[in-house]
Amino acid sequence: MSVNTWIIVAGDPAIGNLIDTARSLGGSVSVAVVGPRAVADTVAAAGVDKVVWFGEPGAVPAEAYATVVADAVAAATPGLVLAANRASDRVLLGATAARLQAPVLAAVSSITADGAGLVANCSVFGGIAEETVTVTGPLALLLEGGPVPAASTTVPVEELPATPLGITVVETKPSSFEQVDLGAAPRVVGIGRGLKTQEDLALINALADAAKAEVACSRPVAEGLDWLGKDRYIGVSGAHITPDLYFAIGISGQLQHMVGVRGAKTIVAINTDPNAPVFKEADYCLVGDLYALVPALTAALK
Amino acid sequence: MKIVVAYKWASNPQDATVGAQGTVDWSRAKPGFSEYDPVAAELARRLADATGGEVIGLTVGTKRVDATLARKAALSRGFDRAVIVADDSLEGAGSTQLAAVLAAAVRHIGDVDLVITGDSSVDVGSKMVPTVLAGQLGWPAVAEVISITGQAGALRVERAVPTGTQVLEITGPVVLAASTDAAVARVPGMKDILAAGKKPVESLDLAALDIPAAAGTTTVTGTSRPDLLTRKGQMIDASDPAAAAAELVAALRGAGAL
Ligand SMILES: Cc1cc2nc3c(=O)[nH]c(=O)nc-3n(C[C@H](O)[C@H](O)[C@H](O)COP(=O)(O)OP(=O)(O)OC[C@H]3O[C@@H](n4cnc5c(N)ncnc54)[C@H](O)[C@@H]3O)c2cc1C
Ligand SMILES: Nc1ncnc2c1ncn2[C@@H]1O[C@H](COP(=O)(O)O)[C@@H](O)[C@H]1O
Repeated sequence: MSVNTWIIVAGDPAIGNLIDTARSLGGSVSVAVVGPRAVADTVAAAGVDKVVWFGEPGAVPAEAYATVVADAVAAATPGLVLAANRASDRVLLGATAARLQAPVLAAVSSITADGAGLVANCSVFGGIAEETVTVTGPLALLLEGGPVPAASTTVPVEELPATPLGITVVETKPSSFEQVDLGAAPRVVGIGRGLKTQEDLALINALADAAKAEVACSRPVAEGLDWLGKDRYIGVSGAHITPDLYFAIGISGQLQHMVGVRGAKTIVAINTDPNAPVFKEADYCLVGDLYALVPALTAALK
Repeated sequence: MKIVVAYKWASNPQDATVGAQGTVDWSRAKPGFSEYDPVAAELARRLADATGGEVIGLTVGTKRVDATLARKAALSRGFDRAVIVADDSLEGAGSTQLAAVLAAAVRHIGDVDLVITGDSSVDVGSKMVPTVLAGQLGWPAVAEVISITGQAGALRVERAVPTGTQVLEITGPVVLAASTDAAVARVPGMKDILAAGKKPVESLDLAALDIPAAAGTTTVTGTSRPDLLTRKGQMIDASDPAAAAAELVAALRGAGAL
């Protein structure tokens, strides 16, 4: 059984993993692109069969195209609809799933087609268990995006006229944090709410320098305390990383955080609380004060 | 302005136990007002107070979500009233099905200007219910919302994007998913909990709602435990920080991690 797939793009063409997944199912691969023409052109050269594009958005955000994307994709009666796990892409996928009355699965590790339908393996409930789910009828999936490939052939971009819903961007404010790609870092130092003040990040930065590591954090440090950028937090809703070495410092190690570092080769945990859950998932456990241990570790690494 | 807050009554998977075959046992995990949904309730209350609006709490789930304790816990969060769809056939319902029921309830409430949700639910947490709900209603959805001001038909919404923030103007009804740090939710006090018992609750009959049929079937055909790496769990005595650091660095070098 081959499955025709539609991929939905809300402005970011990083969909290599989605194209690979769609290709593995043997059917046609079409893409609905919201965003500037350049995004549609990039996708058209990425090894897909068809690209539809809804025109220059100007100051209209991707979310305003939710209903037109849903209509266009649903009209093609796809067996599978994919989107990258990014905020605007999720909105367009949700609208399309609603139009198709299709179930949505997230945290999917594999998908295959057999005579009965589509069979997906997914991690559920924040990663405590895994399920194999068999779906008859259309299915919508959220996947990690992956970089966009460049193919040897380009398909034409079909323009579809669209009337977006009433949303306009009236102001943009740049972030004060520089963007990082934690996924590429071989070593990562993660800091949590055990850090008392933002100034104390200097201690963590010094350790990261000595260990040639990137700095990351738990969610509340990036959302709430705002000490680091949102792309630096690790976990079920943040980055999933597989470094050689991860330091969890002043992080309790709740499930929702640890899911993001399960693939790390070695985990070191530093925490004052001997009962912190992080110690159950660490290779090296230091029960103690980060304010004493981090400077000592920095010195030992030099 | 008529504002609906979609809140989930759910358990934290951290408190569930997982059997050898990957079956999840929730019996020891106590359900509660889902972790990030108080932020949605807080944003709604502030907006309603600023515009003279009404806040309606809405939840969908099994009979559990309509228990007295669950009702009171919800209504103490600053809602004016609550609408509840509780039916045991919703056990294990997926995001699309839950969103279809929520949408039917929003249509039943009528003339809703705005639905506010949390960032993600504590148990499922895929951030999809708000987006599918918007799709079912034919509305747009916007996530990562930091602030909401203005009036129905002329909302000003600030949201986080990877490069910073954007201010949006929205002219029609919309589903807004609050970022986790959009507001610090007030903790309900004794007064709120007592007042909660007197607030109106409408229980809707699932069968009486106009819910579109699912396009196919979804069947869980297998479960397993995640295949985790075995960790060494080696304790390093940290009473002397310098000695502990030296021991750790030596161990990491020995293991090829440094
Ligand atoms: C749906 C959902 C999604 C979530 N997604 C994520 C996610 O993606 N990523 C994420 O990180 N979290 C996520 N969370 C939040 C998560 O559940 C935890 O609340 C969070 O990870 C806790 O952060 P923390 O460990 O920094 O803080 P805390 O839990 O407060 O832990 C701080 C730790 O520091 C220790 N400490 C204090 N002082 C010192 C000291 N001087 N030296 C050493 N140790 C010290 C304490 O003993 C404690 O263990 C999510 C939650 C939900 C409900
Ligand atoms: N069963 C439900 N009833 C009401 N609201 C819900 C329900 N499930 C999810 N939500 C809302 O949707 C948000 C995101 O949930 P999720 O898509 O499961 O991560 C939650 O924070 C709630 O605001």
